[in-house]
Amino acid sequence: MNRTLPSLAAAASVILLIAGCSSAAPANTEPVKGGTLVYATGDAEPTCLDPHVGGNYPQALVATQYLESLVSKDADGEIIPWLASEWVEADDGLSWEFTLRDDVTFTDGTPLTSEAVAANVAHLQNPETGSSTGYLALQNVTGVEAVDDTTARITLSQPDSGLLDSLSQPWLAIESPTALQRPADENCESPVGTGPFVVTAWDRQQSITLERNDDYTSPPADADHEGAAYLESIEWRFLPDSASRYAALQSGTVDVIDNVQPDTIVAAEGEDAIEELNAPRPGASNRIELNSSKAPLDDALVREAFIRSANVDDSVTSLFFGTAERSYSALSSVEKFGISKPELFEYDQEAAAALLDEAGWTETDAEGYRVKNGERLELDFPVSTNQSIPAEVSLFEQLQSTAKEAGFKVNLEPLDLSSWYGALGENDYDLVSAPYTKVGADVLRILFDSEGTVPAPSGYFANHSQVKNPELDTLLRDANQASDDAERADLYAQAQDIILGGFYVLPLYDQQNHYLLRSDVKGLRAMPTVSTPTLYDAWLDR
Amino acid sequence: MAGSLSVDLVAAQPRAGAGGRLIRWALLRLGGVLFVLWAVATVTFFALRLIPGDPAEAILGGPGSQASAEALAQARADYGLDQPLFTQYLVYLAHLATGDLGTSYALRESVSSVILTNLWPTLLLAVLSLAVALAIALGLAVWATRGGRVGTAIGSLLEIVAAAVPHFWLAISLILLFSTGLGWLPPVSVPGPLGLVLPVLTVAIPLAGFLGQVMREALLDAMDSPFVLSARARGEGDGGVFWRHALRHAAIPAIGLVGWAFGSLISGAVVVETVFARQGLGRSLLNAVQSRDVPLVIGVVLVVALAYMVVTTLTDLADRVVDPRLRRS
Repeated sequence: MNRTLPSLAAAASVILLIAGCSSAAPANTEPVKGGTLVYATGDAEPTCLDPHVGGNYPQALVATQYLESLVSKDADGEIIPWLASEWVEADDGLSWEFTLRDDVTFTDGTPLTSEAVAANVAHLQNPETGSSTGYLALQNVTGVEAVDDTTARITLSQPDSGLLDSLSQPWLAIESPTALQRPADENCESPVGTGPFVVTAWDRQQSITLERNDDYTSPPADADHEGAAYLESIEWRFLPDSASRYAALQSGTVDVIDNVQPDTIVAAEGEDAIEELNAPRPGASNRIELNSSKAPLDDALVREAFIRSANVDDSVTSLFFGTAERSYSALSSVEKFGISKPELFEYDQEAAAALLDEAGWTETDAEGYRVKNGERLELDFPVSTNQSIPAEVSLFEQLQSTAKEAGFKVNLEPLDLSSWYGALGENDYDLVSAPYTKVGADVLRILFDSEGTVPAPSGYFANHSQVKNPELDTLLRDANQASDDAERADLYAQAQDIILGGFYVLPLYDQQNHYLLRSDVKGLRAMPTVSTPTLYDAWLDR
Repeated sequence: MAGSLSVDLVAAQPRAGAGGRLIRWALLRLGGVLFVLWAVATVTFFALRLIPGDPAEAILGGPGSQASAEALAQARADYGLDQPLFTQYLVYLAHLATGDLGTSYALRESVSSVILTNLWPTLLLAVLSLAVALAIALGLAVWATRGGRVGTAIGSLLEIVAAAVPHFWLAISLILLFSTGLGWLPPVSVPGPLGLVLPVLTVAIPLAGFLGQVMREALLDAMDSPFVLSARARGEGDGGVFWRHALRHAAIPAIGLVGWAFGSLISGAVVVETVFARQGLGRSLLNAVQSRDVPLVIGVVLVVALAYMVVTTLTDLADRVVDPRLRRS
């Protein structure tokens, strides 16, 4: 011991010296096989591990490890092959033929065939399944024909250029048709896919255990390697509290965490043993929607005045410590059809005052709020405390005070999720911030089409700014039916001109999706589809 | 001498009378328990329906789940939510009377089995925390009463601080100190006793502050009381007086508080189980409220209410054992 310790120390310092000189010399250049990675999620625990049922982000996060879709996306946003190797749209746009890979087997031994695709679409469209996201994405789909074993023809009621985007989402992943025939509870407990890992245990409120699928053959076209995953297993833990989640990462109890708060990201920058992966979600940007269906925001001048009065830039910089970038778009920065209009959202109190004067809000009461016909300029802003992180709530408070300078009385109302949806359903809001994740620009149709103002029987509707503009409806529907990319880009640009130029939304930033990982975790990447992490290429350098 | 006369009178009652009183007491107690359980179930049932939104949505993955109209209709029919509210209530009560707590909306598992799997981790946490809290409180109280004026001052300050710290803040502080700083203990629950240390301390410390305050007062009170004086007069030493007489006297208010403390243990469990990611009833309750899982919320609330009543009954009995005066009144 006496002699080994100093020589070990000497060896270690030499290694450190070499490592320090050549930054591109990690300890292991070849991926190490084996080991268990502990992933700690701060998202809710799914109530069902089959993302066909319901269809929310927590399900997508974990399902990415064991289920696969027909197609995926690469980093440039282009659709790439996955379980389907090729696809052709019919000339009339009313059907698509997908050619499936013929060498893929579900982990229960069922081969992947066109019948499996048909069974999955039927499962998603069956009301008894209780699908929401997948169901909405398949609204134009009338059925699936099995042309032969490896050719599935999806038929549509109208052309749908967003179909490939929709099919790339984890909520429409392909599951074993044999497994789907089991009772719903059983399928929720252990869904069967073609993915690199298999669900072997689910200990509620604690963790999900995933084991390597040794016979795995179907990585997406942009994966780093082929064959089975490097990791032997994954322990997927639920750690709802963000402070203890970070402490668990620091102490090495867990290897990767998600839902990282801005202050934690900044704290982690000082730690050598921890790295960050920033993967903003696709779909809509995080934004404040202005309810244009009732006074005072039914007046475009008042909407513009509110937007001009909001000092978003300074607040984002100070509250998010540079971890979030300001957005000037209705779409996420990862959406290729998104356009940005910074000039529409410049902070300008003088302009805001002039706009309010023009709109007839000329008087000011003793407290400094604008008044018109004896009515005070008040805006109700219900805030979902389940969805808005503390930094975002602080941002809303700062916007409240900058809007006050212009004469707006903004009433922030923190509500739990149920009450928040209740307030929205009763049209009892002027401002609202609601996240929406979907692949592709077609999310604009969900959020801004007139039909989106009609509440579902549940009271839910997606068009919170309550835009009813026939010209916009036509642009969004045409864009969804156009198969030519240049044509779609043009139509979506026109649509966004109307949305942004009409001051229906105040864009804030991309939907935040930050992961922290220990630096001996290699090869972790986020899927370019909905930015969920995939552990297929990941390995542990230890 | 009036005192001894009344004692004689009570002792002269026939033994059957004492048994009858016990049975009557037990029956009244049972009736009270059933009434409280019914009231708790009723209030919880209607209170949860007053929250805006649709329970069918909760079944389909939470509010705003964008569920289709067909799926919502299906869920309503499956769970009897298309019936009038009062009918739903009667059906629920009828099931409850047979011990059937229904099926959790969110977990799609019987409420009884969800409660059973989560009951033991929480009970273990509660019992260990109570034991640790009593030990700390006793230590503080003894130290405060025997340490002179300075000891009393420091002791009572510690008790006030301990009683005042919120569970959440304490949990994070303990993690920062023992996990991030010293690296001695895991920051989140792991199997085995090591993972229990921080959760138990988090629940026990504020409780110890409360109990310590009460026990110290009672101890000081007892040390000054006539029976201690008479014990001293009989020649008992300091230690004997303290352990045999004063401590027993100080235990009475503490036992009375244990019933109350149980409520604090459950609210502590909600926080601790969330921060340390421990399995348990508290975390189930929080999740169930957030997802509007009505059957599970009522089930957990009923179990907690029942446990609370069992604990208070037990503390009443314990009081009678420790305090002979109660047996006679």
